[in-house]
Amino acid sequence: MEEQLEPNEMIVHLGPQHPMQPGPFRLNLRLKGETVVDADIELGFIHKGIEKILENKTYLQGITIVDRICYLVALVNEECFVGCTEKLLGIEPPERSQYIRVILDELTRIQSHLLGMGEFGEFIGFVSMFMYTIREREEVLGLIDMITGARVTHSYLKFGGVRDDLPDGFKEKALSVFNNLKKSVDDFEEMFHTDRIFRERTVGVGVLTADVAKNLGVSGPVLRATGVPFDIRKNEPYLVYKDLDFKVCTETAGDCFARVQVRINEIRESIYILEQCLDQIPGGPLFPEGTMYGRRTPVMRVPAGEVFHRVEDPRGEMGMYMISDGSDKPYRVKIRGPYYPTLQALPPLIIGTTVADVASISGSMDGCTSEADR
Amino acid sequence: MDVAEILKSLTDAFPEAISEATAESEIRARSYVDKDEVRKVCQYLKDSLQFDHLCSVCGVDYIKRNELEVVYHIASYNHPVVLTLKARLPRENPEIESIVSVYWNANWYERETYELFGILFKNHPNLKPLVLPEDMIGEWPLRKDYEGFPNKTARNLV
Repeated sequence: MEEQLEPNEMIVHLGPQHPMQPGPFRLNLRLKGETVVDADIELGFIHKGIEKILENKTYLQGITIVDRICYLVALVNEECFVGCTEKLLGIEPPERSQYIRVILDELTRIQSHLLGMGEFGEFIGFVSMFMYTIREREEVLGLIDMITGARVTHSYLKFGGVRDDLPDGFKEKALSVFNNLKKSVDDFEEMFHTDRIFRERTVGVGVLTADVAKNLGVSGPVLRATGVPFDIRKNEPYLVYKDLDFKVCTETAGDCFARVQVRINEIRESIYILEQCLDQIPGGPLFPEGTMYGRRTPVMRVPAGEVFHRVEDPRGEMGMYMISDGSDKPYRVKIRGPYYPTLQALPPLIIGTTVADVASISGSMDGCTSEADR
Repeated sequence: MDVAEILKSLTDAFPEAISEATAESEIRARSYVDKDEVRKVCQYLKDSLQFDHLCSVCGVDYIKRNELEVVYHIASYNHPVVLTLKARLPRENPEIESIVSVYWNANWYERETYELFGILFKNHPNLKPLVLPEDMIGEWPLRKDYEGFPNKTARNLV
Protein backbone atom coordinates (compact mmCIF):
# COMPACT_ATOMS: atom_id res chain seq x y z
CA MET A 1 0.00 0.00 0.00
CA GLU A 2 2.84 2.40 0.92
CA GLU A 3 4.50 2.39 -2.50
CA GLN A 4 1.74 4.15 -4.38
CA LEU A 5 1.42 6.92 -1.81
CA GLU A 6 0.99 10.37 -3.32
CA PRO A 7 2.30 13.52 -1.57
CA ASN A 8 -1.09 14.55 -0.16
CA GLU A 9 -2.00 11.07 1.03
CA MET A 10 -1.35 9.27 4.29
CA ILE A 11 -1.89 5.90 5.89
CA VAL A 12 -3.81 5.52 9.13
CA HIS A 13 -3.77 2.24 11.01
CA LEU A 14 -6.88 1.59 13.08
CA GLY A 15 -6.39 -1.15 15.62
CA PRO A 16 -5.51 -3.68 16.86
CA GLN A 17 -7.08 -2.81 20.18
CA HIS A 18 -8.21 0.55 18.95
CA PRO A 19 -11.22 1.56 21.05
CA MET A 20 -13.11 2.29 17.86
CA GLN A 21 -12.83 -1.19 16.40
CA PRO A 22 -14.72 -4.27 17.49
CA GLY A 23 -11.96 -6.54 18.63
CA PRO A 24 -8.33 -6.74 17.64
CA PHE A 25 -8.00 -6.57 13.92
CA ARG A 26 -6.10 -3.97 11.98
CA LEU A 27 -7.70 -1.77 9.40
CA ASN A 28 -5.23 0.15 7.24
CA LEU A 29 -6.74 3.19 5.59
CA ARG A 30 -5.15 5.24 2.84
CA LEU A 31 -6.52 8.73 3.20
CA LYS A 32 -6.59 11.64 0.83
CA GLY A 33 -7.60 14.51 3.04
CA GLU A 34 -10.49 13.01 4.94
CA THR A 35 -11.58 10.62 2.22
CA VAL A 36 -10.72 6.94 2.34
CA VAL A 37 -9.22 5.95 -1.00
CA ASP A 38 -8.06 2.45 -0.09
CA ALA A 39 -8.62 0.06 2.78
CA ASP A 40 -7.04 -3.20 3.78
CA ILE A 41 -7.82 -5.52 6.67
CA GLU A 42 -5.22 -7.56 8.50
CA LEU A 43 -6.62 -10.47 10.46
CA GLY A 44 -4.90 -13.03 12.59
CA PHE A 45 -4.23 -11.34 15.91
CA ILE A 46 -6.30 -13.81 17.92
CA HIS A 47 -6.03 -16.91 15.81
CA LYS A 48 -6.99 -19.79 18.07
CA GLY A 49 -6.78 -22.69 15.63
CA ILE A 50 -10.15 -24.05 16.68
CA GLU A 51 -10.58 -26.21 13.59
CA LYS A 52 -7.32 -28.02 14.35
CA ILE A 53 -8.15 -28.38 18.05
CA LEU A 54 -11.51 -29.96 17.19
CA GLU A 55 -9.75 -32.67 15.19
CA ASN A 56 -7.87 -33.73 18.32
CA LYS A 57 -10.77 -33.74 20.79
CA THR A 58 -13.66 -36.15 21.16
CA TYR A 59 -17.07 -34.95 20.10
CA LEU A 60 -18.16 -34.23 23.67
CA GLN A 61 -14.99 -32.24 24.37
CA GLY A 62 -15.61 -30.34 21.15
CA ILE A 63 -18.72 -28.73 22.62
CA THR A 64 -16.60 -26.81 25.13
CA ILE A 65 -14.26 -25.69 22.34
CA VAL A 66 -16.94 -24.33 20.00
CA ASP A 67 -18.19 -22.19 22.90
CA ARG A 68 -14.98 -20.22 22.54
CA ILE A 69 -15.47 -19.33 18.87
CA CYS A 70 -17.42 -16.26 19.91
CA TYR A 71 -18.47 -15.97 23.51
CA LEU A 72 -21.44 -13.78 22.65
CA VAL A 73 -23.17 -16.56 20.76
CA ALA A 74 -21.78 -19.65 22.47
CA LEU A 75 -25.14 -21.43 22.52
CA VAL A 76 -25.73 -20.93 18.80
CA ASN A 77 -22.27 -22.33 18.04
CA GLU A 78 -23.08 -25.32 20.23
CA GLU A 79 -26.38 -25.72 18.41
CA CYS A 80 -24.57 -25.89 15.08
CA PHE A 81 -21.89 -28.32 16.26
CA VAL A 82 -24.34 -30.58 18.08
CA GLY A 83 -26.77 -30.37 15.15
CA CYS A 84 -24.02 -31.61 12.79
CA THR A 85 -23.18 -34.54 15.04
CA GLU A 86 -26.83 -35.44 15.53
CA LYS A 87 -27.35 -35.55 11.78
CA LEU A 88 -24.37 -37.90 11.46
CA LEU A 89 -25.69 -40.05 14.30
CA GLY A 90 -29.16 -40.01 12.80
CA ILE A 91 -30.92 -38.96 16.01
CA GLU A 92 -33.32 -36.15 16.77
CA PRO A 93 -33.81 -34.63 20.21
CA PRO A 94 -37.29 -34.93 21.73
CA GLU A 95 -39.59 -31.97 21.43
CA ARG A 96 -39.03 -30.65 24.93
CA SER A 97 -35.29 -30.43 24.35
CA GLN A 98 -35.85 -28.71 21.02
CA TYR A 99 -38.03 -26.06 22.67
CA ILE A 100 -35.41 -25.46 25.38
CA ARG A 101 -32.80 -25.04 22.66
CA VAL A 102 -34.96 -22.54 20.79
CA ILE A 103 -35.48 -20.61 24.05
CA LEU A 104 -31.70 -20.43 24.54
CA ASP A 105 -31.00 -19.50 20.91
CA GLU A 106 -33.45 -16.62 21.05
CA LEU A 107 -32.19 -15.39 24.42
CA THR A 108 -28.71 -15.45 22.90
CA ARG A 109 -29.95 -13.44 19.94
CA ILE A 110 -31.49 -10.81 22.23
CA GLN A 111 -28.40 -10.35 24.37
CA SER A 112 -26.08 -10.26 21.37
CA HIS A 113 -28.21 -7.63 19.61
CA LEU A 114 -28.42 -5.57 22.81
CA LEU A 115 -24.66 -5.55 23.20
CA GLY A 116 -24.20 -4.86 19.49
CA MET A 117 -26.51 -1.86 19.65
CA GLY A 118 -24.76 -0.55 22.75
CA GLU A 119 -21.33 -0.93 21.21
CA PHE A 120 -22.49 0.78 18.07
CA GLY A 121 -23.72 3.69 20.16
CA GLU A 122 -20.36 3.85 21.85
CA PHE A 123 -18.46 3.90 18.54
CA ILE A 124 -20.23 7.03 17.40
CA GLY A 125 -19.98 8.82 20.74
CA PHE A 126 -23.37 7.85 22.19
CA VAL A 127 -21.79 6.31 25.29
CA SER A 128 -24.85 6.30 27.52
CA MET A 129 -26.52 3.95 25.03
CA PHE A 130 -24.00 1.30 26.06
CA MET A 131 -24.95 1.76 29.72
CA TYR A 132 -28.64 1.36 28.94
CA THR A 133 -28.29 -1.73 26.79
CA ILE A 134 -25.78 -3.48 29.03
CA ARG A 135 -28.23 -3.14 31.92
CA GLU A 136 -30.97 -4.89 29.95
CA ARG A 137 -28.49 -7.47 28.70
CA GLU A 138 -27.65 -8.40 32.29
CA GLU A 139 -31.29 -9.34 32.85
CA VAL A 140 -31.29 -11.58 29.77
CA LEU A 141 -27.96 -13.13 30.78
CA GLY A 142 -29.54 -13.80 34.16
CA LEU A 143 -32.22 -15.88 32.42
CA ILE A 144 -29.59 -17.86 30.50
CA ASP A 145 -27.66 -18.26 33.75
CA MET A 146 -30.80 -19.69 35.39
CA ILE A 147 -31.00 -22.44 32.76
CA THR A 148 -27.38 -23.27 32.06
CA GLY A 149 -25.57 -22.16 35.21
CA ALA A 150 -23.08 -20.03 33.29
CA ARG A 151 -23.04 -16.59 31.78
CA VAL A 152 -20.93 -16.91 28.66
CA THR A 153 -19.50 -20.40 28.11
CA HIS A 154 -22.21 -22.89 28.84
CA SER A 155 -21.46 -26.40 27.52
CA TYR A 156 -25.17 -26.98 27.97
CA LEU A 157 -26.22 -28.89 24.88
CA LYS A 158 -25.61 -32.60 24.60
CA PHE A 159 -26.06 -34.98 21.71
CA GLY A 160 -29.75 -35.85 21.57
CA GLY A 161 -30.90 -33.25 24.06
CA VAL A 162 -29.89 -30.76 26.72
CA ARG A 163 -28.06 -31.22 29.99
CA ASP A 164 -30.78 -30.03 32.38
CA ASP A 165 -34.44 -29.21 32.43
CA LEU A 166 -35.79 -25.67 32.80
CA PRO A 167 -35.59 -24.54 36.45
CA ASP A 168 -38.70 -23.93 38.57
CA GLY A 169 -40.20 -20.50 38.19
CA PHE A 170 -38.41 -19.81 34.93
CA LYS A 171 -41.56 -18.87 33.04
CA GLU A 172 -42.68 -16.21 35.52
CA LYS A 173 -39.18 -14.75 35.78
CA ALA A 174 -38.79 -14.71 32.01
CA LEU A 175 -42.14 -13.06 31.36
CA SER A 176 -41.41 -10.27 33.83
CA VAL A 177 -38.00 -9.69 32.20
CA PHE A 178 -39.65 -9.58 28.76
CA ASN A 179 -42.22 -7.03 29.93
CA ASN A 180 -39.48 -4.68 31.07
CA LEU A 181 -37.41 -5.42 27.99
CA LYS A 182 -40.24 -4.52 25.62
CA LYS A 183 -40.52 -1.08 27.21
CA SER A 184 -36.76 -0.59 27.09
CA VAL A 185 -36.59 -1.60 23.44
CA ASP A 186 -39.29 0.97 22.65
CA ASP A 187 -37.21 3.54 24.53
CA PHE A 188 -34.06 2.62 22.59
CA GLU A 189 -35.92 2.92 19.33
CA GLU A 190 -37.27 6.32 20.30
CA MET A 191 -33.77 7.45 21.29
CA PHE A 192 -32.34 6.31 17.98
CA HIS A 193 -35.15 7.91 16.03
CA THR A 194 -35.18 11.27 17.76
CA ASP A 195 -31.47 11.83 18.39
CA ARG A 196 -30.35 14.20 15.66
CA ILE A 197 -26.66 13.37 15.94
CA PHE A 198 -27.38 9.66 15.72
CA ARG A 199 -29.52 10.15 12.63
CA GLU A 200 -26.94 12.27 10.90
CA ARG A 201 -24.20 9.75 11.60
CA THR A 202 -26.22 6.79 10.30
CA VAL A 203 -28.93 7.70 7.77
CA GLY A 204 -27.55 7.28 4.27
CA VAL A 205 -24.14 6.17 5.54
CA GLY A 206 -22.60 2.93 4.30
CA VAL A 207 -25.42 2.10 1.91
CA LEU A 208 -25.52 -1.47 0.58
CA THR A 209 -27.96 -2.37 -2.16
CA ALA A 210 -29.50 -5.81 -2.30
CA ASP A 211 -27.54 -6.85 -5.39
CA VAL A 212 -24.21 -5.68 -4.01
CA ALA A 213 -24.90 -7.31 -0.64
CA LYS A 214 -25.70 -10.64 -2.31
CA ASN A 215 -22.56 -10.39 -4.39
CA LEU A 216 -20.48 -9.69 -1.29
CA GLY A 217 -21.94 -12.83 0.29
CA VAL A 218 -23.13 -11.23 3.53
CA SER A 219 -25.98 -12.62 5.58
CA GLY A 220 -27.93 -11.82 8.70
CA PRO A 221 -29.13 -8.33 9.69
CA VAL A 222 -26.66 -6.68 7.28
CA LEU A 223 -28.35 -8.46 4.37
CA ARG A 224 -31.89 -8.14 5.71
CA ALA A 225 -31.40 -4.37 6.06
CA THR A 226 -31.17 -4.27 2.25
CA GLY A 227 -34.55 -5.93 1.84
CA VAL A 228 -33.60 -9.56 1.21
CA PRO A 229 -35.73 -11.81 3.46
CA PHE A 230 -33.06 -14.48 3.92
CA ASP A 231 -33.24 -16.22 7.27
CA ILE A 232 -32.11 -19.80 7.91
CA ARG A 233 -34.91 -20.22 10.45
CA LYS A 234 -37.41 -19.78 7.60
CA ASN A 235 -35.44 -21.05 4.59
CA GLU A 236 -34.15 -24.22 6.18
CA PRO A 237 -36.03 -24.72 9.46
CA TYR A 238 -34.20 -26.57 12.19
CA LEU A 239 -35.44 -27.53 15.68
CA VAL A 240 -39.10 -26.51 16.08
CA TYR A 241 -38.94 -23.22 14.20
CA LYS A 242 -41.45 -24.47 11.64
CA ASP A 243 -44.10 -24.69 14.41
CA LEU A 244 -43.49 -21.16 15.62
CA ASP A 245 -44.98 -18.00 14.24
CA PHE A 246 -42.53 -15.21 13.46
CA LYS A 247 -41.69 -12.95 10.59
CA VAL A 248 -38.37 -12.09 9.02
CA CYS A 249 -37.50 -8.46 9.78
CA THR A 250 -36.37 -6.50 6.77
CA GLU A 251 -35.68 -2.87 5.93
CA THR A 252 -35.09 -1.37 2.53
CA ALA A 253 -32.58 1.45 3.00
CA GLY A 254 -29.50 -0.74 3.56
CA ASP A 255 -27.68 1.95 5.55
CA CYS A 256 -26.36 1.93 9.12
CA PHE A 257 -29.69 3.13 10.47
CA ALA A 258 -31.58 0.28 8.76
CA ARG A 259 -29.17 -2.27 10.21
CA VAL A 260 -29.81 -1.02 13.74
CA GLN A 261 -33.54 -0.96 13.04
CA VAL A 262 -33.48 -4.59 11.88
CA ARG A 263 -31.79 -5.59 15.13
CA ILE A 264 -34.37 -3.72 17.21
CA ASN A 265 -37.21 -5.45 15.38
CA GLU A 266 -35.50 -8.81 15.73
CA ILE A 267 -35.35 -8.39 19.49
CA ARG A 268 -39.13 -7.90 19.46
CA GLU A 269 -39.61 -10.93 17.19
CA SER A 270 -37.40 -13.02 19.48
CA ILE A 271 -39.46 -12.02 22.51
CA TYR A 272 -42.58 -13.07 20.59
CA ILE A 273 -40.99 -16.45 19.76
CA LEU A 274 -39.97 -16.91 23.38
CA GLU A 275 -43.49 -16.20 24.64
CA GLN A 276 -44.87 -18.82 22.27
CA CYS A 277 -42.22 -21.31 23.39
CA LEU A 278 -43.01 -20.80 27.05
CA ASP A 279 -46.71 -21.36 26.32
CA GLN A 280 -46.33 -24.34 24.03
CA ILE A 281 -43.44 -26.26 25.60
CA PRO A 282 -44.54 -29.87 26.04
CA GLY A 283 -43.52 -32.25 28.82
CA GLY A 284 -41.62 -35.43 28.22
CA PRO A 285 -38.07 -36.72 28.30
CA LEU A 286 -34.99 -34.66 27.45
CA PHE A 287 -33.26 -37.42 25.49
CA PRO A 288 -34.59 -39.99 22.99
CA GLU A 289 -35.95 -42.86 25.03
CA GLY A 290 -34.34 -46.26 24.91
CA THR A 291 -30.95 -44.96 23.73
CA MET A 292 -27.61 -44.38 25.36
CA TYR A 293 -27.81 -40.62 24.82
CA GLY A 294 -27.87 -38.56 27.97
CA ARG A 295 -26.09 -41.19 30.06
CA ARG A 296 -22.45 -40.93 30.94
CA THR A 297 -20.64 -42.18 27.88
CA PRO A 298 -16.87 -41.78 27.97
CA VAL A 299 -16.36 -42.45 24.28
CA MET A 300 -18.94 -42.08 21.56
CA ARG A 301 -18.21 -43.24 18.04
CA VAL A 302 -19.93 -41.47 15.18
CA PRO A 303 -20.70 -43.27 11.91
CA ALA A 304 -18.59 -42.24 8.94
CA GLY A 305 -20.09 -39.58 6.72
CA GLU A 306 -20.20 -35.88 6.15
CA VAL A 307 -22.75 -33.17 6.78
CA PHE A 308 -23.17 -29.44 6.31
CA HIS A 309 -25.54 -27.89 8.83
CA ARG A 310 -26.59 -24.26 9.03
CA VAL A 311 -28.21 -22.28 11.83
CA GLU A 312 -29.18 -18.63 12.14
CA ASP A 313 -26.65 -16.83 14.28
CA PRO A 314 -27.42 -13.28 15.52
CA ARG A 315 -24.91 -12.14 12.88
CA GLY A 316 -26.15 -14.31 10.03
CA GLU A 317 -25.55 -17.73 8.65
CA MET A 318 -23.47 -20.04 10.84
CA GLY A 319 -22.55 -23.27 9.11
CA MET A 320 -20.36 -26.20 9.95
CA TYR A 321 -19.05 -28.88 7.62
CA MET A 322 -18.21 -31.99 9.59
CA ILE A 323 -16.54 -35.13 8.26
CA SER A 324 -16.47 -38.25 10.39
CA ASP A 325 -14.31 -41.27 9.62
CA GLY A 326 -16.07 -43.50 12.15
CA SER A 327 -13.78 -42.79 15.08
CA ASP A 328 -14.50 -40.88 18.28
CA LYS A 329 -13.01 -37.63 16.98
CA PRO A 330 -14.16 -35.58 13.99
CA TYR A 331 -11.93 -35.98 10.95
CA ARG A 332 -12.42 -32.38 9.86
CA VAL A 333 -14.63 -29.53 10.98
CA LYS A 334 -14.89 -26.42 8.84
CA ILE A 335 -16.57 -23.52 10.58
CA ARG A 336 -18.23 -21.02 8.31
CA GLY A 337 -18.76 -18.05 10.58
CA PRO A 338 -21.25 -15.33 9.66
CA TYR A 339 -18.97 -12.39 10.40
CA TYR A 340 -16.17 -13.53 8.09
CA PRO A 341 -17.88 -12.42 4.83
CA THR A 342 -19.22 -9.31 6.51
CA LEU A 343 -15.74 -8.29 7.59
CA GLN A 344 -14.45 -9.05 4.12
CA ALA A 345 -17.11 -6.74 2.72
CA LEU A 346 -15.94 -3.85 4.87
CA PRO A 347 -13.22 -2.40 2.55
CA PRO A 348 -15.50 -1.96 -0.49
CA LEU A 349 -18.08 -0.29 1.76
CA ILE A 350 -15.76 2.24 3.35
CA ILE A 351 -13.80 3.20 0.23
CA GLY A 352 -15.04 6.60 -0.80
CA THR A 353 -16.46 7.60 2.57
CA THR A 354 -14.86 9.95 5.07
CA VAL A 355 -12.73 8.65 7.92
CA ALA A 356 -15.37 9.68 10.47
CA ASP A 357 -17.90 7.36 8.86
CA VAL A 358 -15.59 4.36 9.16
CA ALA A 359 -16.56 4.12 12.81
CA SER A 360 -20.26 4.06 12.16
CA ILE A 361 -20.02 1.64 9.24
CA SER A 362 -17.78 -0.90 10.97
CA GLY A 363 -19.80 -0.55 14.16
CA SER A 364 -23.13 -1.12 12.44
CA MET A 365 -21.85 -4.48 11.15
CA ASP A 366 -21.95 -5.71 14.77
CA GLY A 367 -18.66 -7.51 14.59
CA CYS A 368 -17.03 -10.23 16.54
CA THR A 369 -13.44 -10.56 15.36
CA SER A 370 -12.91 -13.57 17.56
CA GLU A 371 -15.44 -15.42 15.45
CA ALA A 372 -14.06 -14.30 12.10
CA ASP A 373 -10.51 -15.15 13.11
CA ARG A 374 -10.93 -18.60 14.52
CA MET B 1 -36.12 -25.74 -8.13
CA ASP B 2 -35.57 -29.09 -6.49
CA VAL B 3 -32.46 -31.21 -6.08
CA ALA B 4 -33.13 -33.63 -8.94
CA GLU B 5 -33.71 -30.80 -11.41
CA ILE B 6 -30.51 -29.04 -10.34
CA LEU B 7 -28.38 -32.18 -10.58
CA LYS B 8 -29.82 -33.08 -13.97
CA SER B 9 -29.19 -29.63 -15.36
CA LEU B 10 -25.64 -29.67 -14.00
CA THR B 11 -24.70 -33.09 -15.39
CA ASP B 12 -26.29 -32.29 -18.74
CA ALA B 13 -24.29 -29.09 -19.06
CA PHE B 14 -20.98 -30.64 -17.94
CA PRO B 15 -21.09 -34.38 -18.70
CA GLU B 16 -17.31 -34.76 -18.38
CA ALA B 17 -16.49 -32.43 -15.53
CA ILE B 18 -19.22 -33.51 -13.10
CA SER B 19 -19.10 -36.96 -11.55
CA GLU B 20 -20.82 -38.83 -8.72
CA ALA B 21 -23.63 -36.30 -8.51
CA THR B 22 -25.97 -37.47 -5.76
CA ALA B 23 -28.84 -36.02 -3.77
CA GLU B 24 -28.39 -36.50 -0.03
CA SER B 25 -31.77 -35.09 0.94
CA GLU B 26 -34.32 -32.59 -0.32
CA ILE B 27 -32.04 -29.68 0.47
CA ARG B 28 -28.56 -31.13 0.06
CA ALA B 29 -26.71 -32.27 -3.06
CA ARG B 30 -23.16 -33.46 -3.54
CA SER B 31 -20.93 -33.78 -6.56
CA TYR B 32 -17.33 -34.06 -7.65
CA VAL B 33 -15.97 -31.63 -10.17
CA ASP B 34 -12.94 -31.71 -12.39
CA LYS B 35 -10.33 -29.33 -11.00
CA ASP B 36 -9.73 -27.55 -14.29
CA GLU B 37 -13.40 -26.87 -14.92
CA VAL B 38 -14.37 -25.55 -11.49
CA ARG B 39 -14.57 -21.90 -12.52
CA LYS B 40 -16.82 -22.65 -15.50
CA VAL B 41 -19.06 -24.87 -13.40
CA CYS B 42 -19.38 -22.16 -10.75
CA GLN B 43 -20.21 -19.59 -13.40
CA TYR B 44 -22.95 -21.87 -14.71
CA LEU B 45 -24.30 -22.48 -11.21
CA LYS B 46 -24.45 -18.77 -10.55
CA ASP B 47 -25.95 -17.73 -13.88
CA SER B 48 -28.36 -20.55 -14.65
CA LEU B 49 -29.25 -22.30 -11.39
CA GLN B 50 -29.56 -19.32 -8.99
CA PHE B 51 -26.66 -20.46 -6.81
CA ASP B 52 -25.69 -16.91 -5.92
CA HIS B 53 -24.38 -17.41 -2.40
CA LEU B 54 -21.02 -19.01 -1.69
CA CYS B 55 -21.12 -20.34 1.88
CA SER B 56 -17.53 -21.45 2.19
CA VAL B 57 -14.46 -22.91 0.57
CA CYS B 58 -12.36 -25.30 2.58
CA GLY B 59 -9.75 -27.96 2.21
CA VAL B 60 -9.73 -31.51 3.51
CA ASP B 61 -6.62 -33.67 3.76
CA TYR B 62 -7.22 -37.34 2.89
CA ILE B 63 -3.73 -38.50 3.74
CA LYS B 64 -4.46 -42.20 3.27
CA ARG B 65 -5.59 -41.64 -0.31
CA ASN B 66 -2.70 -39.20 -0.83
CA GLU B 67 -5.19 -36.59 -1.92
CA LEU B 68 -6.37 -33.15 -0.93
CA GLU B 69 -9.91 -32.04 -1.58
CA VAL B 70 -11.20 -28.53 -2.03
CA VAL B 71 -14.82 -28.38 -0.94
CA TYR B 72 -17.16 -25.60 -2.05
CA HIS B 73 -20.50 -25.11 -0.34
CA ILE B 74 -22.71 -23.14 -2.65
CA ALA B 75 -26.18 -22.04 -1.62
CA SER B 76 -28.79 -19.65 -2.89
CA TYR B 77 -30.76 -16.72 -1.56
CA ASN B 78 -33.81 -18.01 -3.44
CA HIS B 79 -34.03 -21.76 -2.90
CA PRO B 80 -32.92 -23.86 0.10
CA VAL B 81 -30.65 -26.33 -1.73
CA VAL B 82 -26.97 -26.35 -0.75
CA LEU B 83 -24.59 -27.95 -3.20
CA THR B 84 -21.36 -29.48 -1.93
CA LEU B 85 -18.92 -29.33 -4.81
CA LYS B 86 -15.65 -31.17 -4.32
CA ALA B 87 -12.48 -31.23 -6.36
CA ARG B 88 -9.78 -33.86 -5.94
CA LEU B 89 -6.15 -32.73 -6.03
CA PRO B 90 -2.90 -34.69 -5.71
CA ARG B 91 -1.10 -34.11 -2.43
CA GLU B 92 2.11 -33.15 -4.20
CA ASN B 93 1.78 -29.88 -6.04
CA PRO B 94 -1.96 -29.20 -5.47
CA GLU B 95 -3.24 -26.52 -7.82
CA ILE B 96 -6.75 -25.41 -8.69
CA GLU B 97 -8.32 -22.52 -10.48
CA SER B 98 -9.50 -19.61 -8.34
CA ILE B 99 -13.23 -18.76 -8.40
CA VAL B 100 -12.85 -15.20 -7.12
CA SER B 101 -13.93 -13.89 -10.52
CA VAL B 102 -17.28 -15.67 -10.04
CA TYR B 103 -17.88 -15.37 -6.31
CA TRP B 104 -16.32 -12.25 -4.87
CA ASN B 105 -16.23 -13.56 -1.30
CA ALA B 106 -14.17 -16.63 -2.24
CA ASN B 107 -11.14 -14.35 -1.87
CA TRP B 108 -10.49 -14.81 1.84
CA TYR B 109 -11.59 -18.44 1.88
CA GLU B 110 -9.03 -19.27 -0.77
CA ARG B 111 -6.30 -17.33 1.00
CA GLU B 112 -7.08 -19.21 4.21
CA THR B 113 -7.12 -22.57 2.45
CA TYR B 114 -3.80 -21.74 0.81
CA GLU B 115 -1.98 -20.99 4.04
CA LEU B 116 -3.55 -23.83 6.02
CA PHE B 117 -3.36 -26.58 3.36
CA GLY B 118 -0.88 -25.35 0.79
CA ILE B 119 -3.38 -25.50 -2.07
CA LEU B 120 -2.37 -23.04 -4.74
CA PHE B 121 -5.23 -21.11 -6.31
CA LYS B 122 -4.28 -20.07 -9.82
CA ASN B 123 -5.22 -16.53 -10.92
CA HIS B 124 -6.08 -15.45 -7.38
CA PRO B 125 -5.73 -11.65 -7.14
CA ASN B 126 -3.95 -11.52 -3.79
CA LEU B 127 -2.76 -14.88 -2.50
CA LYS B 128 -0.94 -13.92 0.70
CA PRO B 129 -1.32 -15.10 4.32
CA LEU B 130 -4.46 -13.98 6.11
CA VAL B 131 -4.58 -15.50 9.59
CA LEU B 132 -1.06 -16.84 10.12
CA PRO B 133 2.29 -15.03 10.18
CA GLU B 134 4.28 -15.15 6.98
CA ASP B 135 7.05 -17.34 8.41
CA MET B 136 4.55 -20.17 8.77
CA ILE B 137 4.14 -20.46 5.01
CA GLY B 138 5.20 -23.95 4.05
CA GLU B 139 4.04 -25.43 7.35
CA TRP B 140 0.43 -26.12 6.20
CA PRO B 141 -0.97 -26.54 9.74
CA LEU B 142 -4.29 -28.23 8.88
CA ARG B 143 -2.67 -31.09 7.00
CA LYS B 144 -2.74 -34.34 8.89
CA ASP B 145 1.05 -34.79 8.93
CA TYR B 146 1.70 -31.39 10.52
CA GLU B 147 4.01 -31.76 13.49
CA GLY B 148 3.50 -28.52 15.35
CA PHE B 149 5.08 -25.15 14.77
CA PRO B 150 6.39 -24.27 18.26
CA ASN B 151 8.23 -27.58 18.67
CA LYS B 152 9.77 -27.20 15.30
CA THR B 153 10.94 -23.64 15.93
CA ALA B 154 12.39 -24.55 19.32
CA ARG B 155 14.34 -27.32 17.63
CA ASN B 156 15.57 -24.88 15.05
CA LEU B 157 16.69 -22.40 17.70
CA VAL B 158 18.77 -25.03 19.53
